[in-house]
Amino acid sequence: MSLIYFKNVSKSYNDSLILDNVTFTVETGEFVSLVGRSGVGKTTLLKMLIREELPTKGKIYFNDKEINKLKLQEISLLRRKIGVVFQDFKLLSNKTAFENVAFAMEVAGYSEEDIKKDVPEVLKLVNLQNKADNFPYQLSAGEKQRTVIARALIQRPELILADEPTGNLDPINSWDIIKLLVKINELGTAVMLASHDKEIVNTLGKRVISLEDGKIIRDEQEGRYLI
Amino acid sequence: MIQIIQRMFKTAWQGMKRNSWLSIACIVMMTLSLLIFSSILIFNHAANTLVNTLKEKMDITIYFKTDVPEEDILKIRDELLSDEAIAKINYVSKEDALKAFEERSKYNPTIQKALDELGENPLAASLNIKAKKTEDYNTIIESVKNSVFKDKLITVDLAENQKVVSRVDALAKAVKIGSLFAISVLACLSFIIGFNTIRMAIYSLKEEVEIMKLVGASNWFVRGPFLLEGALQGFISSISTTVIFSLLLLVFGGKIENFVPGLGLNVYFWSHFWFIFFLQTAFGIFLGIISSFWALNHYLKI
Repeated sequence: MSLIYFKNVSKSYNDSLILDNVTFTVETGEFVSLVGRSGVGKTTLLKMLIREELPTKGKIYFNDKEINKLKLQEISLLRRKIGVVFQDFKLLSNKTAFENVAFAMEVAGYSEEDIKKDVPEVLKLVNLQNKADNFPYQLSAGEKQRTVIARALIQRPELILADEPTGNLDPINSWDIIKLLVKINELGTAVMLASHDKEIVNTLGKRVISLEDGKIIRDEQEGRYLI
Repeated sequence: MIQIIQRMFKTAWQGMKRNSWLSIACIVMMTLSLLIFSSILIFNHAANTLVNTLKEKMDITIYFKTDVPEEDILKIRDELLSDEAIAKINYVSKEDALKAFEERSKYNPTIQKALDELGENPLAASLNIKAKKTEDYNTIIESVKNSVFKDKLITVDLAENQKVVSRVDALAKAVKIGSLFAISVLACLSFIIGFNTIRMAIYSLKEEVEIMKLVGASNWFVRGPFLLEGALQGFISSISTTVIFSLLLLVFGGKIENFVPGLGLNVYFWSHFWFIFFLQTAFGIFLGIISSFWALNHYLKI
């Protein structure tokens, strides 16, 4: 049983075809980079995994459950199993770093005791233990992204989706984030990284799925981003 | 369940504190709405009081010829009291009438001189009749006009009272319809003001709501704190409205009473304080919750 299975998935917006008959699987604990130029459908593909978008054709499975057919309540449960890291961070502006991470646990119904125990540990993991009481406007871009990763991690998800996580960061912070993702992957969480940063993808030496004109043109285990 | 409710309250209170300017704007607008709403209640009371005051001033006075003995007049009074339409009858003897007249005109030497020259009491005894309902005055007048003792009467004040009765009745109906119309329009207006303010506030938090949903929050988990925030804002607005109204009445209540005696705004407000506060609070909380719910549903598809 694969963790993710995209089966003949196509996606159009009006008459514009974004994804064309895409089929692939991702196994538990795998690290996959999704590459391609801007507008090729990487973000759309990731959005379909968390049911923010629906495919025009085809089926998408997460742990053998068809995502297209999930009911409203089940979508919330799905999103708790998949951590998401966005390029524009998407932190709650009126909550501190601690509260942003804790929110993910509150949503899942964890007790206050569990929250008080786990959140500081995860903030320590991403090296933000001294910034727990800071609001997003008081954090640097790199710190914001690490808060997002902490929030993605806190529920021990099976999969982390990272959509251009280094897009707004300088090179040093970018590498810090990528190293964190690699470390998370080594602990057993699958990671799907959408990126058009050639250097990062090629240095990782992990599986690379290349998209062009909505189709998968390459899928290699120790792939490279070839322009 | 308790944990969920505690979290909702904590999030709602936190949201209000941290988006304080937005919360203040909502509370100010809702206070305005509630001021309009409470003014409607008070206006309705004032209008009814005015009409009732007018009605209370209405009566029929029948004047008896000077040669009619007092015991006859008292018998007529007792007969009239058996009419169910009549609330009470006050007998004013010739002597009482003269005393009252002398008191009213004590600063008018011409009238005093005229009375002295006359030597005798020119005034007539009368019966002052108050009906239970203003609509019955005309019927009473007709029955007195056609009664067996009609020959003992000087006058019944027919023409003027008929006009006044009709006018007061028409005014009472107009006030009732007008009040209802004003209440409906102003209540809608006050609702719309508060509704739009909260709607815009929630729209401005659109991104926050989308983030919550992406992290896996269920619709009610997102919705709950917003509805509670709306309710809290409604409650706080109710308190501020009550404070403002109390201050206004303390400062201007006496002056209004001097201008329109008998209006009794202060008395009405303080004697119905909890009733008015309850209605206000209920309206405020209802407004807060409905506005939040609609905005979340409409704009954020929750």
